[in-house]
Amino acid sequence: MKIPLAYNLRNLAVRKTTTMMTALGIALSVAILAASLGLVNGLRTVFTGTAHPLQLLVLRKGANSELGSTVPTDAFAILRAKSGVARDGAGESLASQELVNVANLPSVDNPKGMNVTVRGLSATGIEMRSVRMVAGRWFQTGQREVVVGRAVAKRYPAARIGNRIRFGKGDWEIVGVMDGGQSALNSEIWGNFDQISADYNRQDSSSSVLLRATDPAALDAAKHSIEDDRGLNASAITEKDYYESQTSSGAPLEFLGFFVAIIMAIGSGFATMNTMYAAVTRRAKEIGTLRTLGFSEGSILLSFLTESVLLSALAGILGCLLALPLNLVTTGIGSMTSFSEIAFRFRVGVTALLSGFAFAIVLGALGGVLPARAAARKEILSALREA
Amino acid sequence: MMDVVIQTKKLSKEYVRDENRVTALKNVDFQVPRGDFLALMGPSGSGKSTLLHLIAAMDRPSSGEVLVLGQDLRSLSGRELARWRNAHTGFIFQSFNLIPVLTALENVMLPLKLTDLSTKQQSEHATTALQLVGLEDRLQHFPRQLSGGQEQRVAIARAIVTDPDFILADEPTGNLDAASANDVLMLLAALNQEHGKTVVMVTHDPHAAHFARTIRYLEKGALLSEGEVQQDWVAAAIALPFHSRLVGGSEVPAR
Amino acid sequence: MNLDLQLVLKNSLRNRRRSMLTIASMAVSICLIGVLLALSRALFYGGDTTPGQAKRLIVHHKIALTQDLPVAYERTIQKIPGVHAVTRLRWFGGTYRDARDPKNRFAQFAIEPKTLFEVHPEFQISETEKQAFILQKTASVASRPLAEKLGWKLGERITLVGGMSPATLELTLVGIFDAPTDNSSVLYFNWDYLRDSLPTGDAIRDMVQQFYVEAEYKNAIAGIGQQIDDAFADSPYPTRSEPEQAFMLSFVSFLGNLKLFLAAICGAVTFTMLLISTNTLSMSVRERTREVGILKTLGFSSGEILSMVAGEATLIAFAGGLLGCVLAGGLCGGIASAMRSAPGFVSVVRGLGFSLLVAALTLAIALLVGLMSSVVPALHAARTSIVDTLQYNG
Repeated sequence: MKIPLAYNLRNLAVRKTTTMMTALGIALSVAILAASLGLVNGLRTVFTGTAHPLQLLVLRKGANSELGSTVPTDAFAILRAKSGVARDGAGESLASQELVNVANLPSVDNPKGMNVTVRGLSATGIEMRSVRMVAGRWFQTGQREVVVGRAVAKRYPAARIGNRIRFGKGDWEIVGVMDGGQSALNSEIWGNFDQISADYNRQDSSSSVLLRATDPAALDAAKHSIEDDRGLNASAITEKDYYESQTSSGAPLEFLGFFVAIIMAIGSGFATMNTMYAAVTRRAKEIGTLRTLGFSEGSILLSFLTESVLLSALAGILGCLLALPLNLVTTGIGSMTSFSEIAFRFRVGVTALLSGFAFAIVLGALGGVLPARAAARKEILSALREA
Repeated sequence: MMDVVIQTKKLSKEYVRDENRVTALKNVDFQVPRGDFLALMGPSGSGKSTLLHLIAAMDRPSSGEVLVLGQDLRSLSGRELARWRNAHTGFIFQSFNLIPVLTALENVMLPLKLTDLSTKQQSEHATTALQLVGLEDRLQHFPRQLSGGQEQRVAIARAIVTDPDFILADEPTGNLDAASANDVLMLLAALNQEHGKTVVMVTHDPHAAHFARTIRYLEKGALLSEGEVQQDWVAAAIALPFHSRLVGGSEVPAR
Repeated sequence: MNLDLQLVLKNSLRNRRRSMLTIASMAVSICLIGVLLALSRALFYGGDTTPGQAKRLIVHHKIALTQDLPVAYERTIQKIPGVHAVTRLRWFGGTYRDARDPKNRFAQFAIEPKTLFEVHPEFQISETEKQAFILQKTASVASRPLAEKLGWKLGERITLVGGMSPATLELTLVGIFDAPTDNSSVLYFNWDYLRDSLPTGDAIRDMVQQFYVEAEYKNAIAGIGQQIDDAFADSPYPTRSEPEQAFMLSFVSFLGNLKLFLAAICGAVTFTMLLISTNTLSMSVRERTREVGILKTLGFSSGEILSMVAGEATLIAFAGGLLGCVLAGGLCGGIASAMRSAPGFVSVVRGLGFSLLVAALTLAIALLVGLMSSVVPALHAARTSIVDTLQYNG
């Protein structure tokens, strides 16, 4: 670049107010874009964090969620006996039959009540998940006791240890809080399988069966074996795929975010054009002087285009900084699969930030190209004559 | 034969302004020899600035030729003209035209950006130029921190930093007080006499013209023949304390 | 005053490109705000409702949609004064052919044929088809979009393999209905048939998921809803009755804290707009500082200059706001018709209308921004001394 960069940088600095205002407009578009990407990324993290790579979820054939599925108890006996199913230290099959339903609790965001997944499972089921107790204790068989996930305890004021919540046929006492790390399980309420089944009059069937395979090959074999077995009338999906499909819950918000970001970008683009046109007008005499000194039209164009891109780059950084604090925000979104709320944390990562920055640069280039061309095309003499 | 630096043949320039066809220059034929200090004088609208701009390749003629250092400027493309300007000319404006956001040194370095010199070399050349005009202690100052006279001297430094073949000045003292104007004019005269630079200066100020070797007059787009002088100008010249030298001779007033 | 208006207009047209760009950028921002406001209205206050929808109530289990109600409740509900019709409903998540093909996934509901059309007066169907549906137990009716999508003709045999309910249903298509404001793909069949297909001991045989109630008068639905809930409040299956609109809206809470999200965006956009327009106006005023000085020497007071600057800003803001409203109206209409075939709760966006209220509010915001953005530049212009302005050199 023939014309020194200092020329552009200092001109941006001299018109501080204008530069800041234009930059802020672009920054907001970038922030919204990064936030939308962070939302989707956060959801994906929670869902992929939930799944165990070797676990298989068995549902009724045709069902695409645990909530809409029924698996008879006799099927469980067949499933847990399948070859390829891993065993725990005591020699027990790592197979868990589970009952899934929904409870409605008033939350901080939704005083009218929000759906929370209730899961009835056995000790084996607990063993098959990587959760640990952070407060209180696990529920006892035969008791109307439940344990809530960490996110539930945080977002639902009623869900404290010692409190009672109502679902199914009556009240249940909360005796513990569990932590599943980065996983959707933090948004669930767990109780004893038999106890919960009874409450929903489902003594001879469960919603789903969770199996762990010994290795990836066995996982694949088990999946096919289950699906090919006509008598079972079941379908098997890897836990990984099951949770992955739920990331689409964020789609409406993601779409809204992108929509807003793009529209704001268009508005900011016009504003950038305005700012740059004003700069070109104000510095007409300088342009004429530079041309007189021998700088070509091309170098003038490049210089002003660079200035626009520098401005938007600054805005891009600002926008990324605005979006970063979202990483501290936990919120919830409803999954249509589980019909209940999943808590997750925004995850504005490197991809989101880089995308936002690139977006800003492109915007700066697009907004600056016409004014830069106008600058380059100015006739030397008329430019020198402008006040 | 004297080495001719600038030569024009039947040079004409017309333009259209607000539906009126204006003739700025009409068939101008003249020559500027190497080492001359020429003052172009005339009332406003006489075309003197237009002639200067055509010589400086800042504008294209409507008809006629401009030959500078043997090069027919009409045959050069826009890009080539720009490069040519950078290499061969140094332009001084009436309102200095320094870049406000650049320091004095950076302003003088600007023309060198288009050369192959390294940044260090550019800086050295620019410093030398500024020393020549007596502003070595103002290198890091911004234009707003300089007086009008100092600004114009920076502009002169900028004009000579590429060691151009000739310097073109458009009313260089128009925005200056008498003392600063004097400094600037003496600088130009020194550049011409001690360093052999060819200078073409447009001015309406007879006092400024006094520093030149040759004076030519323009009137309504036509160049008056040598020796021919517009009547009003003689009267004005005589009225001044310093009487202007019309042809030849050189006498730089002592500083 | 006349002269002032002329001056204001002239000044705005002076730098046409700048004014156009400012108007364009404001229009875009205003359009966004307009759409977001309309969206808020649709999502949180209920958008435009169809006449049929306005008189409909949905009765479901108080705690969760997934819990059932006894079918016997129907008789009690029917007896409540003001109730025009009641139909029972159970969602049947059956598999049609290969469920992996998204075309084969559609909503299936077990309802009572006779009362279905009474509860949904906006469904248009020929009388013969309706009668066939009522008389034949294994009959079914489909919405036109569904029938067209799968190429169904009357007499088509449809087999649904149950998911949640362990039953396989063999249905015959006897009718295709049109719902003018609803493009969703849905199949209705006889609840009695489902009941009979379930094993005798199955607990859900005599249970339904929801009741749809059509009231006689729109204003009566709140009262009717209350009466229904009171009737079953102390039973083992308490109910919650809400207007269909509200029911759809409750799904919106699924989208998380959308209200906060939308409010934050609106705030951010308005703020940005304010910045941009202030900036542009400052640029204009700065460029014309010399004229301001001349105006002052001519005798214009600070107040008059202030109002001229403010006038210019407001004019541009108004132009931008008007254009933005037009764009927003078009965009809302476009989104609403695009969303007509959307499933689930997103369908509530069908009610996205750019009502007069929203338009007025949007325009008000535009004018407010215009006024506020002129404050700083106007004060600056009014305060600069004449001498300063005349000496202003760039």
